[in-house]
Amino acid sequence: MSAVLDVRGLVVADATGRVLLGPVTVTAGNSEVVAVVGPSGTGKTTFVHALLDALPPGLARAGGEVRWRGSVVRRGRAARTWRRRETAVLGQDPAAALHPLWPVAGVVADTAAGAAVVDDALRSVGLDPALVRERRVRELSGGQAQRVALARAVAARPALLVLDEPTSSLDADAAALVERLVRARRERGDGPVLLISHDRALVARLADRVLALPGDHAPPPAVVPLPPVTGDPVLLVREAVVRRADGAALLAGVDLGLRAGEFVVVRGPSGSGKTTLLRALAGLHPITGGEVLLDGGPLPADVRDRDRAALGAVQLLHQDPLGALNPAHRARSATARPARLLRGLDRAAASREADALLHATGLPADHAEHRPARLSGGQRQRVVLARALAARPRVLLADEPTSALDDTTAHAVLDLLAARCRDGTAVLVATHDERVATRAHRSLRLTDRGQLIDDEEGPDRA
Amino acid sequence: MRPGAGAVAGVVVVVAALSGGLVAPHDPAAVVGTPFSVPGGAFPLGTDGLGRDVLSRVLAGGARLVLLALAGGAAATAAGVVVGLLAGWVGGVTDRLLTAALDLLAALPLLLVALVLAVAVPGGAAVVVAAVAGGAPLTARVVRDAASRFRGSGWVEAARGRGESTGAVLVRELAPALGPLVAADAALRFVLGLQLACTVALLGFGPQPPSPDWALMLRENLPGAALNPAGVAAPAAALVLLACGVAWSALSRRGVAG
Amino acid sequence: MTSAPPLRAGVAVLARAGATAVLLSVVVFAAVEVLPGDAAAARTGGRADAARLARLREATGLDDPLWQRWLSWAAGLLRGDWGTSLLTDRPVADLVLPRLAATAVLTGAALLVAVPLVLALAWLVGTARPGRSRVGGAVLTALAAVPQAVVVAVLVLVLAGLLRWLPAVSLLPPGVPPLRRPEVLVLPALALALPSAAWGGALLAGVVADACAAPHVRDARVRGMPPWRVHRDHVAPFVLAPAVRVLAAVAAGAVSSAALVETVFGYRGLGELLVGAVAGRDAPVVAVTGLLGGLVVVVGAAVADLVALAVTR
Repeated sequence: MSAVLDVRGLVVADATGRVLLGPVTVTAGNSEVVAVVGPSGTGKTTFVHALLDALPPGLARAGGEVRWRGSVVRRGRAARTWRRRETAVLGQDPAAALHPLWPVAGVVADTAAGAAVVDDALRSVGLDPALVRERRVRELSGGQAQRVALARAVAARPALLVLDEPTSSLDADAAALVERLVRARRERGDGPVLLISHDRALVARLADRVLALPGDHAPPPAVVPLPPVTGDPVLLVREAVVRRADGAALLAGVDLGLRAGEFVVVRGPSGSGKTTLLRALAGLHPITGGEVLLDGGPLPADVRDRDRAALGAVQLLHQDPLGALNPAHRARSATARPARLLRGLDRAAASREADALLHATGLPADHAEHRPARLSGGQRQRVVLARALAARPRVLLADEPTSALDDTTAHAVLDLLAARCRDGTAVLVATHDERVATRAHRSLRLTDRGQLIDDEEGPDRA
Repeated sequence: MRPGAGAVAGVVVVVAALSGGLVAPHDPAAVVGTPFSVPGGAFPLGTDGLGRDVLSRVLAGGARLVLLALAGGAAATAAGVVVGLLAGWVGGVTDRLLTAALDLLAALPLLLVALVLAVAVPGGAAVVVAAVAGGAPLTARVVRDAASRFRGSGWVEAARGRGESTGAVLVRELAPALGPLVAADAALRFVLGLQLACTVALLGFGPQPPSPDWALMLRENLPGAALNPAGVAAPAAALVLLACGVAWSALSRRGVAG
Repeated sequence: MTSAPPLRAGVAVLARAGATAVLLSVVVFAAVEVLPGDAAAARTGGRADAARLARLREATGLDDPLWQRWLSWAAGLLRGDWGTSLLTDRPVADLVLPRLAATAVLTGAALLVAVPLVLALAWLVGTARPGRSRVGGAVLTALAAVPQAVVVAVLVLVLAGLLRWLPAVSLLPPGVPPLRRPEVLVLPALALALPSAAWGGALLAGVVADACAAPHVRDARVRGMPPWRVHRDHVAPFVLAPAVRVLAAVAAGAVSSAALVETVFGYRGLGELLVGAVAGRDAPVVAVTGLLGGLVVVVGAAVADLVALAVTR
């Protein structure tokens, strides 16, 4: 079978000429699904934009060419026309990519044409045209908007369909829908599909071929398994009920026990309440039912009612390390503060403790004087971790601690968390990231109905 | 550019404007030469219509404007910070009432307010009042938005999570985080005060002749501009340097704050 | 498509405009009636004895509570009872009304320059590549910081003083409408337009840049939409309402600044009348001209808000 899409030696460089990606060579035949995989930070999305000649300002294609049905796609106007007529992209946040003011019919017809096509496309993604056609995107639910984006991507029967991390932001039903649509395309021979994903299960199910992007090819480090844990839970949650601001129950009777030294992962679809669970345990979100026990004694639900010992015992790592650090405070003083406040160290001792913790978390020594704006994402995460550790917590709650990190940094942060477990700290991590799940003693899953259950699939040990 | 460079430039032009009178070669109000003589000799910038030294008058003519702009800018910033913190940190009904009141104040045409007030009070006082009425709502809005964003931020929650008191959260956490934002905003309020002070002075409601004043000089020397252009160009350049220098410091500070 | 929320928003706009107008009148009232000291003593030139002063105070209502005095003062103005000038003894209306047209012509000419300039600058700077856009925005902000007095002086220095292209003063013989002598309008109109264009351009450029950075705009580019369609369909609708508000603010700035520009150029408009009246402590004229100018600004802002609401939906 001859290649419809033929990408040869594609190289992307930034404004200073530094090569960020490539050279990448990939071909795709008419009914092929080619997966592009690679750890986060290797430029999978950049590859898509380079292929389409739609790189954001500051990046440029520094070499290579793209052929479509045998002829070179010239950059500029020709590539633009090609994108409009032959391709469709389902991006990482598809709902945000829709014109907020247009009615659904207009959004879908922006690429396709004709009411019949629009209606067919909407029906194919499980939406009732009569109900949604005239509604504006901002009046739709998140799930509906995702389906509209999908409908737009398939409405014009694009010859090339690019799916950028389709399962990371779609809800489970929409993700299943994507799979069905891709299979249908392959059967009809509509054209090649490029699937960008780090979801190995999805890639295994769908892809005919896999292209691993060059870059960080270090194999995942050998993970030393954590020793088994026994004994009574440090933190015990019984029948906890947590409501959203509008009063709807988000967590309906959650049971959870964390033993000293235990590493537990909570997974679940976006919006299922993973973050809220952690915040509630940290005393930042009201718990309206059930009880939380620390060492067998009640733990006040509101952080303001907790005494020093309880505050120090339970510490939260926020999801966004930049937002979790005061922009005006230097790494050292941010880390020293909890030690002073919760452990009563004097200024000099707290400062020494801060330096030791920052060193232990792998922050370069001269960076202790830096403010967050001058630190990288991984460095900020280390500071946030050091700050939490300065309180000597018995329970560490971590919200997506690796989501913004590349592979090497993510494993370094996970090593740090595992090291705390060996020292007897209980660690509870809410995450999507399978890199985390492989480390854990147990994996739990928050269901759509707000229950915490043992993860049936278990940690992905593939 | 180093983050502090803009602020340094801003401070330098302000200090230069304040202290220029100390190094003036002649008495700025004294007639020392023939009217409208061109630059040269004892008068590097020539003389004005009465034969006074333009250089000396330029060196001495910024202090009052700068003091007035500093007073107006500082008062507007202080009022704006207090109101903005109250609205943003307390939130709820307080926030809505204060925001509505500020919207009303911000809708007043401040130059007209300054002029109307100048009928009853000295021009300087009118400038300060108008600078506060027009500037404080802008500062308050910036501070309000930042404070309400910071209130729910991870680092304020982290401070709660280690048992900081409300006072400590405000002083140790919020104030330093707001600092760069407020500094940049204060520079813009200074510029607003300067613009008002210039207009009021040029219209004759500020310092009276023969006091040197950049805005007044613009008007005094305009009729003889063809004879000695430096009489207009010099105070104009001084004002541009001052206004743009301070505005630039605001821009560069804001760049640091993100 | 009129639904309840836009209607409520419209009512809120009108209520806010009304409240601003009241606030404005309070400021003017304070300046002309309260702050200058004892009006009764002022009216008698300081020659009356205490008993006569007291009688006068009672007769003119000066002992009434402030809010009653403000109410009757405002009611008088609303009835068209604008008083007489203290300086010329002529009815204020006779002084003010002929000048309305002159100021309207001048600010209109200024807006003819300023509005296209604001839109062009905002589009140019806002849609430029991020680095250039930041530099452009900084330049516009710095230009907007330059005091208007400097702009006026430099324009006169260069265009009238050195190049002699245009008259340095815009003094018109009585009875000659400014449109018959358009050359006198050029310098004052430019002096009004340029600072507000820089200011409005900086403000709107930020809005345009934000609109261009929206995810659906980026997506439209990736989908291969030509730039003109991206701008027309995906950027412009989100700039429209802010643009209306910014242009209204630019117009408001022009009306306020007319006082400075008219005075410097000797152009007989409302602003020049106001400045002269302030200098002569002519309170009735100050009150009417200040209020009139302020009300134009307030009404303009309200209209802009309503238009912005209508185009947003």
